[in-house]
This record gives sequence, structure tokens and C-alpha cells, in this order.
Amino acid sequence: MNLKKYLVRALHRLQKGPGYTYKELLVWYCDNTNTHGPKRIIKEGPKKKLIWFFLTLLFASLVFWQWGILINTYLSYNVTSSLSIGFKTMKFPAVTICNANPFKYSEVKPLLKELDKLIEAALERILQPTPGNSSDNESLGLDLELWNQIPLVLIDEHDKDNPIILDIFETSQTAVGNETAMDSRANKKYKLAVKLCSHQGPENCTYRNFSSAAQAVTEWYILQSTSILSKVPLHERIRMGYQAEDMILACLYGAEPCNYKNFTQIYHPDHGNCYIFNWGMDEEALNSSNPGAEFGLKLILDISQQDYIPYLSSAAGARLMLHQQKSFPFLKDQGIYAMAGTETSIGVLVDELERMGYPYSDCTVNGSDVPVQNLYSQYNTSYSIQACLRSCFQNHMVEICGCGHYMFPLPQGVNYCNNEDNPGWAYCYSSLRSSIKQRQICIDSCKETCNDTQYKMTISMADWPSEASEDWIFHILSYERDMSTNVTLDRNGIIKLNIYFQEYNYRTISESAATTIVWLLSSLGGQFGFWMGGSVLCLIEFGEIIIDSLWITVINVISWCKGLKQRRARARYPDAPPTVSELVEAHTNLGFQHEAVGAVPRAQALPPEPGTPPPNYDSLRVQPLDTLGPDSDAD
Amino acid sequence: APTGPGKKITARLKRTLPVRGPQAPTLSELMRWYCLNTNTHGCRRIVVSRGRLRRLLWIVLTLSAVGLILWQCAELLMNYYSASVSVTVQFQKLPFPAVTICNINPYKYSAMKEYLAELDKETKKALETFYGFSEGKSKVRRSVDDWNSTGSDFFEQIPLLKVEDFSRTATELHSGQKRKIEGSVFHKDSSIVNSGDSNDIIGFQLCDANNSSECALYTFSSGVNAIQEWYKLHYMNIMAQIPLEIKEKLSYSAEDLLLTCYFDGLSCDKRHFTRFHHPLHGNCYTFNSGESGTILSTSTGGSEYGLHVVLYIDEADYNPFLVTSTGAKIMIHDQNEYPFIEDIGTEIETAAATSIGMHFTQSRKLSKPYSDCTETGADIPVENLYNKSYSLQICLHSCFQKAMVDSCGCAQYAQPLPAGAEYCNYKKNPNWMYCYYRLHEKFVKEQLGCQQICKDACSFKEWALTTSIAQWPSIVSEDWMLRVLSWDKGQKLNKKLNKTDLANLMVFYKDLNERFISENPANTLVILLSNFGGQLGLWMSCSVVCVIEIVEVFFIDSLSIVLRRQWQRAKKWWSGRQQGRAAQTSDVERQGHENPACIDEDLPTFTTALRLPLPQDSPLPRTPPPNYSTLRLDTAFTEQLPDTLELGQH
Repeated sequence: MNLKKYLVRALHRLQKGPGYTYKELLVWYCDNTNTHGPKRIIKEGPKKKLIWFFLTLLFASLVFWQWGILINTYLSYNVTSSLSIGFKTMKFPAVTICNANPFKYSEVKPLLKELDKLIEAALERILQPTPGNSSDNESLGLDLELWNQIPLVLIDEHDKDNPIILDIFETSQTAVGNETAMDSRANKKYKLAVKLCSHQGPENCTYRNFSSAAQAVTEWYILQSTSILSKVPLHERIRMGYQAEDMILACLYGAEPCNYKNFTQIYHPDHGNCYIFNWGMDEEALNSSNPGAEFGLKLILDISQQDYIPYLSSAAGARLMLHQQKSFPFLKDQGIYAMAGTETSIGVLVDELERMGYPYSDCTVNGSDVPVQNLYSQYNTSYSIQACLRSCFQNHMVEICGCGHYMFPLPQGVNYCNNEDNPGWAYCYSSLRSSIKQRQICIDSCKETCNDTQYKMTISMADWPSEASEDWIFHILSYERDMSTNVTLDRNGIIKLNIYFQEYNYRTISESAATTIVWLLSSLGGQFGFWMGGSVLCLIEFGEIIIDSLWITVINVISWCKGLKQRRARARYPDAPPTVSELVEAHTNLGFQHEAVGAVPRAQALPPEPGTPPPNYDSLRVQPLDTLGPDSDAD
Repeated sequence: APTGPGKKITARLKRTLPVRGPQAPTLSELMRWYCLNTNTHGCRRIVVSRGRLRRLLWIVLTLSAVGLILWQCAELLMNYYSASVSVTVQFQKLPFPAVTICNINPYKYSAMKEYLAELDKETKKALETFYGFSEGKSKVRRSVDDWNSTGSDFFEQIPLLKVEDFSRTATELHSGQKRKIEGSVFHKDSSIVNSGDSNDIIGFQLCDANNSSECALYTFSSGVNAIQEWYKLHYMNIMAQIPLEIKEKLSYSAEDLLLTCYFDGLSCDKRHFTRFHHPLHGNCYTFNSGESGTILSTSTGGSEYGLHVVLYIDEADYNPFLVTSTGAKIMIHDQNEYPFIEDIGTEIETAAATSIGMHFTQSRKLSKPYSDCTETGADIPVENLYNKSYSLQICLHSCFQKAMVDSCGCAQYAQPLPAGAEYCNYKKNPNWMYCYYRLHEKFVKEQLGCQQICKDACSFKEWALTTSIAQWPSIVSEDWMLRVLSWDKGQKLNKKLNKTDLANLMVFYKDLNERFISENPANTLVILLSNFGGQLGLWMSCSVVCVIEIVEVFFIDSLSIVLRRQWQRAKKWWSGRQQGRAAQTSDVERQGHENPACIDEDLPTFTTALRLPLPQDSPLPRTPPPNYSTLRLDTAFTEQLPDTLELGQH
């Protein structure tokens, strides 16, 4: 048959030697492989042969087991961290400075006039010894419509099961048991709460309880003023805030003077106008190559505490934050206070964590793979987790309440919430803010950035200006600002800031892959080498043998088929002479003998086991021994 | 010719199971066989190399390779227990830590009057006599009179002294008596040794009550420290006698301390705080102590979502001698960690808003054998007196307390009581103060062994704090703020609050990035074996198989050869004695062939083959046939034989 002849010839051409039966092949492999175990199997005596066979099997399985562990280790993508610490020339951090109070009270007074009147009257009522008894004359001049949108109520919790709700400006009480309420007044078990109603109707109301009246008042005032201020256009709001030239009185960076023009203005909803030094948006970021206060940023600020909005922020000072260039300052999260009348020195250590991205850790390089629309991209700032969380919240707010919260940037085509257009927004916002589910969704969808930079600050404070120098310092600074000889500054408004790098200004933890492909290969090689002395070439040898045995299988199958055919044919013609091709085959290919046809006489002259060759280097000397063996047996 | 069926069978077995083995009859043959057939590289070169120099070179190279392998593997073994550090950052909902808040002043001074009246009177007198300080002129006269009439207990027990440094004499301040200083002098302030300064040094003397000659003098550079320390000693004596329930009542209640509370955007009140009595700070209140079973957590960072409290610090009710600063002390710690407020607390200023930004870091070290730390503290031979999880501080304090109970017989007031012990006071333990000071001295000098016994904990949580202060309340909001807060405080206090009585505290997470620093084993067994394999393979292409070979050849086979030799010699000697010299015909080697006592039954046909006379017509080939050839194809190499012949015959 042509096919079989072709295959046999091909095999013969392919591998001149190993043999044409499985046994021959195996023995040849064992003898010639570079793996250490198999050679022993055929070289030793029968007992040791067995031992070596099992040893080889054991080692092979050990190798595979350990390989499995190694590959598993590799696929778990571990990282090793290296820490470096020291001083180097680094970009000076961006410094954001705000006033704790967002607007000048003198500017926003017309807008908040009604609100202030309301709260003053309400406080008057609350604080008097017996609430509810006073005449109603006071409430005449008040804007009760504004009040009723989000009213403050007193809750009498004397009777736990049946709390009595007292509206401050209304005489009628919304609960039964009027008389008991009068009695319990002496016990003073009142609590102040904010009544929040959804726009669907008054029956859908919640009361936000506060343990302290101070908190309730602040919270109420923030809700109301937010609603009022959200209607004011942005440029107007910027005008009402603190101007750079009023706030930044002196600036020195290293030895170079700087002034308010070196600061970038940004409107921050919490703090009004904020000013960022060295933001790196338009200009190159400044480097600092020396440690110490002499080479850092020195600022003198005026926060003009007299002009604070009384009910909005009770803490007075400057709010400042150090952050990376081109990132948005989230002052509520990372900002620190600087107290008026003091000099605050801030030593900076840049704590960086550089991580490898996917698949080593689940972090994002630039936020493009986070499924939240980044609303802060309108400031041209880079992605950060805080930006993501706030954007996520605002998106939810827009989705559920139909308007955006004043504290966060707006998506396109949406307006800020206010009481007129969105009557139930405060209720909606309040329930959304306290919703655990919403927070969890945002936490799950936002990813942290791979490069995490923190500015570790060592903060120290001293009184400034000293009593002796107070007079001339105030005089000069007032003169420079207002070009007048009147002193317009005082201790309660002035702040000195020093921001500088510490002696060691960076601490970098950088990750590198613990298991690289090189590591994997050398470990695999080490294991294979350790147990069996093998290498990739051994694997190729093994593969070769498998291919060879496949060839043999193919040939055997073909010959079996052929034998089947022949037997059928022989059934018809019992004495079929061998074909010419078979005879030729038998001559040319000594190793391949057709067993079905019967042994060729020459085969007996051959050594009985051609498959077990003697050790390589003494091949010829063994021959006499083998021929001798049968002889000695014969006699 | 075969003589029996048994022999026939063995003959057949020999034929069917041809044996090729290392059983060389002599050791040198064995070595030669090993070198030729081993899988390790190098040995073969020694045998096949021609020329003495080259052989020597190969021997040296092989031996140095073996040396290198041994050295490198030893290094690998020694570095096995090393750890690598990994830092992971996780952004997640974080558990809020416990925040313990104390007033700096432990007990209401007005309530403590009955216990402390005597002591305070004495202290005032002391101040007056030493420094001429008095609160009012009229009082002075009276108190001086009092002085002389009532001999003071306090000064008798621990006399305050003015010491002249050079003459080593001291003046007893209340009586004006001079006395010689005996015993040792301890300086509490190290910087006081300045010559030529005429300033007198104030101190007090502690004597062993049983042996009055054993005294120690403690001196201070400043009277402020001396008076405070002296006052504290007496104060502790008095407090040790008051039972805990009364002390708790004497201290501040939660309503007293907390004016407002706000957490995570929601209002909270005193129910969220757990009382905890601290010996030195009175009643402290722990927010989120986890005692109710739930631990609060924050899912948003920022100042709005943390803990926000306004504290009422009643400055007028402070003890003037015990504490000299005003404010609160806070500590941020884990729920099952004991707050060592006195050691690592942060102080909070009044009339200011203190904002504390936290950053959470968790660290974990590997315990033995990587480093010497303890996981649970169970392996430390010091009983944990605190009802909290192990920490180094707890161990040190417990260790000191134990030493105190052992050597002084009573327990120190600032630490919890061990079982069966009670706090020290003069009445029962007149000697305790001297004992305490001596012991404390030893403790600080690490002579008690506590520092050696106590190990640090393997895992710890750390909250890095960024503290900043703003003025609060601001000038314009001060008015309404104080009015409303006074209303909050309720009717009990019929006065308007002062802003110096208030402190505003904000504790919040700056970000929810949790850093987790952990040590991992740098090596596993798999990697160690891989590295061994790499070393063995690099230098000698060796593997475990080679090691087994070496064991087999150098130990088992060599031993068997030696044994066989000995056996044959013994047998020869035996047969020689039995049959005489004539019977000995064959040589030892041939005898080895048919020797039935041979340990291995395998016939060493291979070695016998080696000893066979070479066939004269076919010369000995030295070059091996290529791998892909079997014996049948050896005709292919007939052309190469003359080359190898030259090498082979010499």
C-alpha cells in the first residue's frame, strides 16, 4: 500500500535510529535522553531498575506538582515593595488657601437678611424660659413662607412614646396632650429638629433630630442659605467672596517675592473664593531644591473675622491644603485649619505610593476606566477618588431629586436645587445623604488612583505677631493693602504661614512585580533541574518521542488494517506471495519487520535485544560479550 | 554442561535479564565507572582527559564547582527565613476607631474638697513658707499660726527639703531644721548639675520605714516640679483609699462632659459613649467602644462625616495643684486596645476647634522564626492585667505592677490590680513610696527585666493624625453659639457658658484609603528548591538523581565492595586454614564471580566485559557514537575509527 510505504519512509527519514516499535523507541529514549532518571532505569540491574523506575516517576510528579505551585504563584501577581527615603529636588506642592467663611457678610447681607431675622426670632423663642408664651407680635415682620419650607421644630421627648412636636412660630401644637406639655416644660426635655417634607405633601415628612440646638440651627441655616445662594449666578458669588488682593497680604517663595497674581482663583462651594499657589495649570510647576523654612513659601493672610456670616461657620481661620499639581483641592477632606493671630509652620514630607496597575492591583491610572462621569473634569483637574465619589453622589442626586446639589459641580443641562423650583429637595437630599446603599454603590464603582501621594505635615504654631512688633506690622500691612495710614488689621484676622520641605522630603514606596516571567522560567528550570536535571531540551526530546510514537501508531494501524485486508484476501487466495514492495522493505529497513509475515532469517543473527544498548562509550566492547552470552548458555 | 534444573533456570534468568551495573570488583573500577556514567558534568572530564595537567585542571574545576554549590546552597538556606514587605492600599468602608475623651482634670475639685482639704492646706502652707506665695494677706497670718499648732502628717511622712548641693545638708522647710543627707541623691531633672549656681534645690526624701538610715533624696531643679510630684504622691495615697464607685461619682458624668455630638451626618448622644474609669484621668468616655456589639464605620471621608463633639471643660472646678493645664485629652485607638491616655493622649485646647484628620494604616509582622514578636501575647510570661488585647505597653505596665506587688506588697495606683492585691496607701504600707521609687528607678534602668520579657505585638493598627486648630467660636458667632449651647446644657447650669470652658473636636478620616503593610515570607520551600536546582544545574548540571547516584556509588556500592573484599579475605583465610595453601588456585577477582556470598546476586558482566581481552581486529574506540545510533548502525563509524585509534593507543 502506497500510504504506508510513504509513512514508513518518512519516519525512517525523520529519525534514523530510534526504532520502529514502542519498546525500541522507549529504550532508545531512556538511553539517550538528557533527563537524569530514565537512563538509570535501563542501565541498572532488575531490582534497581524497579527502584529507579519509581524514583523517576516520583520525581516527575514532584516536578509537575511544584510547577503547578509556581505557576499559581505567578498568576496571583504578587508585588514586592521597595522603600526609598531622602531628599531630592521636587515639585513644590500646590497650596490652596481659603477663608473658612465663604462670603463677606457685608456683601451677602441683603440676600440673607430675611433668614437672619427668622433665626434670630426663632432663637429668641427657643431660649426664653417658657417657650410658646410670648406674644405673636414678633413674627409679624418675618418671611414665614421661607420658614415654612424647612421649619425648625421643638420636640418634647419627655414622654418617650408620645413625643410632642411644637412648631416655633405657631401656637397650635401638632399633638394631643397639650397640658402635659406645659407641665413638662420645667424639666426642659426639648430637642430641636429640622422638619423635612417631600414635595408630595405634608404627610411625607421626617424630622431630623439633633442632640444639640447649636447643630440644628447650623444645619438649618446651611440648608436655607444653600437654597438662596444657588440662585445667584457664579460671577456674582465670586464678587461676594474674598478677593485675592484683600486676603493675600504678603508672599515670598524662597528668596523670590510673589504676590496675589501668582495665585489661581477657583470658586469652591464650601469656602467661596480659594486661591491656589503653584497649581501648574498654565505655568510650569515650581521646584524646591532646599529643605528648610528659608526656602519654602511664606504667606501673610488676612481673614477679616469681623465680616464672617454669623450662623454659617462658627470656626474662624484660614483653610489650607497641600495637594498635587492639577488636582482639585477637597478641603473638607484633607484641608487643615490655620488659626488667626498665629504663625503656623508646616514641614512637608511627600509620601508617595506608586502602584502597578492591573492585574497586580485594582487601581486606575487616569480614571478613564471608572464608570462614573467625572464632573470635576470641567476644572481641568486629574482624576481622584474624592472627585469620583462626589461626582457619583451628584449624578445620583440629579437622577433622583431632579436637581444638582450646590456643593458639587453640575452635569450639563441641570440646575442647582432651590426651594422654589424643587420644593422637596432638602428632604430628598437628606434621605440620599444618609442612604447606606447609595454610598456603597459609589464606593464600589470608584477606584483609587495607582499613584497615591500624600503630604505628611508636621504642624507647629506660635503666636504672631509678638506684642512688641504688633504695631508696626499691622501698620505696614494695612498701608500696603489700602494705601492709607489707618490700621485696618487686627490679631483676629491675621495669619502667617510657612510651608517648606523637611530635611527628608520624600518617602516613596514603589511596587514591582514579585514574579516576573523571568522569575517563573528560572524557577521552573530550577525545579526541573533539581529533581531530574532536565531542561527545555528534555521537554523537546520528550515531545519528539511522542511524535515518533504517534508515527508508529499510525503505521501500526495501517498495517493492522492491511493485515485485516490480507487475511480476507488470504481467505480467498490462501497462498498469496509477498509483494515486491514488502520484500524491498524488508531489505532496506532492518528494524521494521512485519511480524505477521514471519521472522526474516537474519533476525536471529541479531542481538536479542537491540533496544537495550550498552552504555554509550563502550558500545563496541560489549558486543563480544553479548555474542558470548548465548554461547556459554549453549554449552 | 548444565548439571541441574536450578542452574538452568539461573542461566536463563541471566540471559533474559541482562545485568549491567556498577558492581565493579574494585573501588578504582567503581570510580571510573561512576565518572564515565554519571549525569554530573565534570567527573567525566577527569576520566576522559588526557595529560596530567589537564586532568588536574579538571579535578580543580570540578572540586571548585562543588564548593561553589555548597556555598551558594548554604547562603540560600541561611536566607530562607527572610521576609519581604508588601504594601496594599484598599479603598473601602472603614471601621471608625474608638475615641476616648477625658477631661484633663480627673475629679471635680468641689466634690473632692472633703478628701483633699487637709492636703491642700498643707500645700498652700508649704508654698507660703518656701516662696512667700499666698492668696490673701489675712489668710497668711492664720495659716502660719495653724502651722505651728498642728504638726502636719504629710510633711512628716515625706518631708520637703531645700538642699544645698555642695554641703550635702538640707533644710527641712516647714520646721527649719537642718539635717545631713544620708543615702543616695537622685536628680529628677538631669540638667541640674551646674556649678556656681547658688539656687537652692528643692526635693523630698523618702526613707525606708523599717530602716531609717536607708534614705533616698529626690531633688528637682524647679519647685514647680517638686511640689507637683510631692502633691501627686499624697494624692495617690488618698485616692487609693476611696472605692471605685465613689470615685466614679466624684468625676464628670457624660452629660457634664459632652455638650453636642454628631457622627457621620447624624446626631448622637451619651448613649454612644462608654464610661471607662482611668485612675489618673477620672471618668473618660469612649465613643464607639464596640461594647454594644456593633462597631460604627464610615463610608465617606471628610470632616462632615466624622465625629464632631463639643466638650464642656469646667475650668473653674480644676484641681490647682494636680493639673496645671486646661483642656481635654483624647486618644484614638482600636476597640480592643487599652487607651494609655496618660502616655500617648493628644491634648485639646479650649476655645478652639481642633480638627483631627486620620489616616489608617494596618501593619502585620511575621512572627517566629522571621521576627521576635508575639501574636496574642499568650507566650509572654507576664499576666495581662488589662482586660484588653495584648500590646507592649500593657505588658510593660503589667510587668511593673507585678514586680511592685512582689517587692512592695501592694499595687501602684495608676495600674489595674492583680488578683489578691490592693492599692498602696500609707496606713497599710508605710514603706510603699520609698519602695516604689526604688523599683521605678530599676524599671527605667531596665534592671527589672520587663523590657526583655515583653515583646511587641505582631499586628497593630495605627491612625496617623493631622491636627490643626482654628479659633472657635468666631467673634461674630460667639454670642448666639454660647447662648444656644447654654440652652443645650439645660437648667442645671443657670449661667451663660464661657468660651474658655468649651472645646470643639472633630475627628474624621481624611480618606478611606487603608494602607496595609504586611510582611510575607520571601521564600517558600518551592522557591528554595528551585534555587537549589538552579545552583546545582548551573555549576555541574546536577540534580537529585545525581545526589542519589553519589549516595549509591560512594556509600552503598563502595561499602559493599569493601565488605565483599573483607568477606573474601576472611573466607580465603578460612579456606587456607582448612585446605592448605595448595587449594588456592584462583585469584581474588575471579573468585568474586561465582562467590555465592556476594551481596548482590547480579552478575557483574559489564566489568568482566571490561577485563576481557580486546579483540585484536577491532581496535578500542574512544569517541562515543552519536546519540541517534544503535549498535546496528555502528558500521557507519568505521571511517572514524582510525582517528580514535590514535588517541586510544598509547
